[in-house]
Amino acid sequence: MKISFTNKQFWRIASVVFIMAVWKILSLIFSSDFVLPSPEKTLVTTLGLFSEKHFLVIVGSTVMRSLAGFTLSVILGIGLGIIAGTHPPFNAFLQPILITIRSIPVIALILLALIWLNPGSVPVFIAILTMFPFICINVIDGIKSVDPDLTEMARFYRVGRSRILRELYFPAIMPFIISGASSAMGIGWRAIITGEVLSQPLYGMGTWMQGAQTFLNVDAVIAWTILAVIISFGFEKTIRWGERKLTAWKF
Amino acid sequence: MKLELENICIDFREIALYRDFSIGFDEGKITCILGPSGCGKTTLLNIIGNIVKPDRGNLSGFEGKIISYIFQDPRLLPWKTVKGNIEFVLGKEIPPEEREQLADHFIRLVELDDFAGYYPSKLSGGMRQRVSIARAFAYSSDIILMDEPLKGLDIKLKLNLIKTFSRIWEKDKRTVIFVTHEVDEALLLGNEIIVLSKPPAEILTHLSMEIPLGDRSLDSPSLSGLKMKLLNTLGN
Repeated sequence: MKISFTNKQFWRIASVVFIMAVWKILSLIFSSDFVLPSPEKTLVTTLGLFSEKHFLVIVGSTVMRSLAGFTLSVILGIGLGIIAGTHPPFNAFLQPILITIRSIPVIALILLALIWLNPGSVPVFIAILTMFPFICINVIDGIKSVDPDLTEMARFYRVGRSRILRELYFPAIMPFIISGASSAMGIGWRAIITGEVLSQPLYGMGTWMQGAQTFLNVDAVIAWTILAVIISFGFEKTIRWGERKLTAWKF
Repeated sequence: MKLELENICIDFREIALYRDFSIGFDEGKITCILGPSGCGKTTLLNIIGNIVKPDRGNLSGFEGKIISYIFQDPRLLPWKTVKGNIEFVLGKEIPPEEREQLADHFIRLVELDDFAGYYPSKLSGGMRQRVSIARAFAYSSDIILMDEPLKGLDIKLKLNLIKTFSRIWEKDKRTVIFVTHEVDEALLLGNEIIVLSKPPAEILTHLSMEIPLGDRSLDSPSLSGLKMKLLNTLGN
């Protein structure tokens, strides 16, 4: 059987092989599992995670937190974004708030949330604060990009307000919502795990990562990390799939 | 009944476009307004469409009239198919099945049957303008306003669109007010041709065309004679 790769695929695979090789060499140099375990050992540990007691609850809790944070951010971001995009005074009012939230270091948000909230809700709170501004800002930009000729046409043809919103504004800003959602998910996912490491909810990937770190199970720390990367990749793929479904007219 | 604008005065960007300007349009006819660029043709359409209020003057006969538009640019929603774009302007008062039938009917009339499910990005410029024509006719209006819808298209496409438009119009006989600066378009499409001067606009000529829309040819002696006459009027 002959397996053929495209040029792009070849370099992607080469990149993964390169990372593995560097990892292997470094692990040989350090030759200590407490510093850097070998890729093979880590792979075994990663597979072992699946048989961990409560594995599904641990991963499920973190995923649910991110989905909850994401959903609330999308609702809030689209809602406020549409109002701000169509009402300049509200936009002027909202901009400094968005810029402030975006400029606050995530760790500062976590420290404050730890004081204010219970451990389970800290990561969700962090997720909203990191994700919502991305989506909101993109929605505002999206509304600004709506072709005034089209809105004029709709008004001339006396199309109702709600239909203009649903069938003109909403599809026009959809690509912006998706690109906002994609950056939000990337940043929010990392913030959630950071939040879990510090707030130590009963179940969560961050909690387990922190536990592994305490006992110097470096292979387990890396194994959870690999899992986090794979899940994040899954989110990204889902968003891109949604993009093809929701903006089919662009493809 | 006649549609009339009486003693209209309006300025645009400090240019006196109209000073005590009056004009009338016959219902059920295509009136072509021919004039040099910048003479305020679009402003005139905006006044008729009740988008711009004149500084002074009256409109009569336009009360309660519903208007559809064919713009220079087709102005289609890129995320809606040909059919979706037509259905978009059809109001809630029309039941969904009927909306679909109406859209289908006009898609057939502009000969886009095979493209009903296509997005505008997959259509040529001429096809997009056909969709815009179908949309204007499908909308249950009393008047169609057209603002240089053929500008920028090559001559073959233009003739094609004029033929399509005439064919639909013959069945429908809706009141059409059409502005252009191309004499040929006016000669091929107008029942009435009104030539405007540079601003402040005055009516230089008013022609009534007797030849039915479909039977006109730019090469015929009668039309080429009229063309010379109109070009001369415009040139002055």
